[in-house]
Amino acid sequence: MIINGKSYTKKIDPLLRLIDFIRDEAKLKGTKEGCGEGECGACTVIIDGRAVNSCLVLAASVNGKEITTIEGVSQGKLHPIQEAFIEVGAVQCGYCTPGMILSTKALLDKNIDATEEEIKESISGNLCRCTGYQIMIEGIKKAQDKLKKR
Amino acid sequence: MKRKGIGYASIFYGTGYGNGFPDESRATAELTKEGQIIISVGVSEVGQGGLSVMEQIAVETLKIKKDLIKLQYNNTSKMRDSGTAAASRQTYNTGNAVLDACRKLKDNMNKVKTNKNLENLYVQMKDCNIDTKTEGYFKATTSEVDLETGQGAPYWPYTFGVQKATVEVDDETGKVDIIEVTSAFDAGKIVNPITAQGQIIGGSTMGIGYAIMEEVNLNQGDIQNKNFSDYIIPTSKDIPKYHTYFIEDVEETGPYGAKGLGEPAMLPMAPAIINAIYDAIGVRIYEYPATCDRILLAIKNKNK
Repeated sequence: MIINGKSYTKKIDPLLRLIDFIRDEAKLKGTKEGCGEGECGACTVIIDGRAVNSCLVLAASVNGKEITTIEGVSQGKLHPIQEAFIEVGAVQCGYCTPGMILSTKALLDKNIDATEEEIKESISGNLCRCTGYQIMIEGIKKAQDKLKKR
Repeated sequence: MKRKGIGYASIFYGTGYGNGFPDESRATAELTKEGQIIISVGVSEVGQGGLSVMEQIAVETLKIKKDLIKLQYNNTSKMRDSGTAAASRQTYNTGNAVLDACRKLKDNMNKVKTNKNLENLYVQMKDCNIDTKTEGYFKATTSEVDLETGQGAPYWPYTFGVQKATVEVDDETGKVDIIEVTSAFDAGKIVNPITAQGQIIGGSTMGIGYAIMEEVNLNQGDIQNKNFSDYIIPTSKDIPKYHTYFIEDVEETGPYGAKGLGEPAMLPMAPAIINAIYDAIGVRIYEYPATCDRILLAIKNKNK
């Protein structure tokens, strides 16, 4: 599989989950495991343009596919979504943040003009206990402006 | 039919452990020979913004550029205890300890007249035998309440807050939608408006969960709903429009006038929502959370 543009070829256990491959084989620790059963969204990664819970995907099933993790979002410098999150103060404890940013990226890559309702829908699979979401939504709107100006 | 209602609730809440329980914080400020100031403080950062607040207090007190100050934290081998990040106490208690350490260091630095940089200041202070490392300490003064006489000072200071909830209740399904929430809090001088607002919105969202969603179902001591699919917490689609206001009534004993703000943010939310439900459909909910079935049952009992 290709993670953040880098190709990985490995013999693996057919039951290995994608999140374990990302964290333990590719050693990319930015992807967080929350519930481990597809309910919280902390482990969200982008597979071929779609935001997916990496705890529910078998690594073997994404053979040949392109995966983006939080490490692949910033290319040398922070991505506008990350900049916007920092500027508005959208990060508190930070555990949901990588998943939140990848769900946002998957949305904005497809639809830069997403409405507030569409934004709320796209991050509704990412649970956050401490921020109350509103500042994140403001951050996403700010990221839309930044991306449009690029 | 969807019916709209508005409810209010207000609280006051003591900062710190209270009731005479030992509540101490410590911090150290040190000017190094490299010309840097190191603040060592055992504040636990769990996302509430404690580190930013301590840094701001240090910068404000020392009147020195932010990049010359380094915060050292979360390492028990290098600093003394500042208690837990709990009881909404870090800004007030540990902030006071940082303030104390920085004031003492600033006093020491002022004993030497120099308009040169911090490295020279360090050399001159050493030459004059002035301490380049100062200890800050703060202990909250509370006392246990005498249960016989009711006398005592269990907490100081108190944070005050009021929240207004606007809800829509569907009287056919019992579903409650939270439309708008307005919060006004007096937590003294707000040290960091961005993180303070984050505490209010986050706490309010948790309060919404307690009001209409979250319930631990026990069966002989065993939790029946252990997963996020059956213990429901608010998602991005459940939140209202939030408005947050601070009434910055300066608390004289606080660092730059600040009081505690963490738990207070959550407290008025659930009763405000329950009051709004009453305003909307005229039924009182006495058991949290106000789920659809409880609301429908209350409507049925009222119409009997």
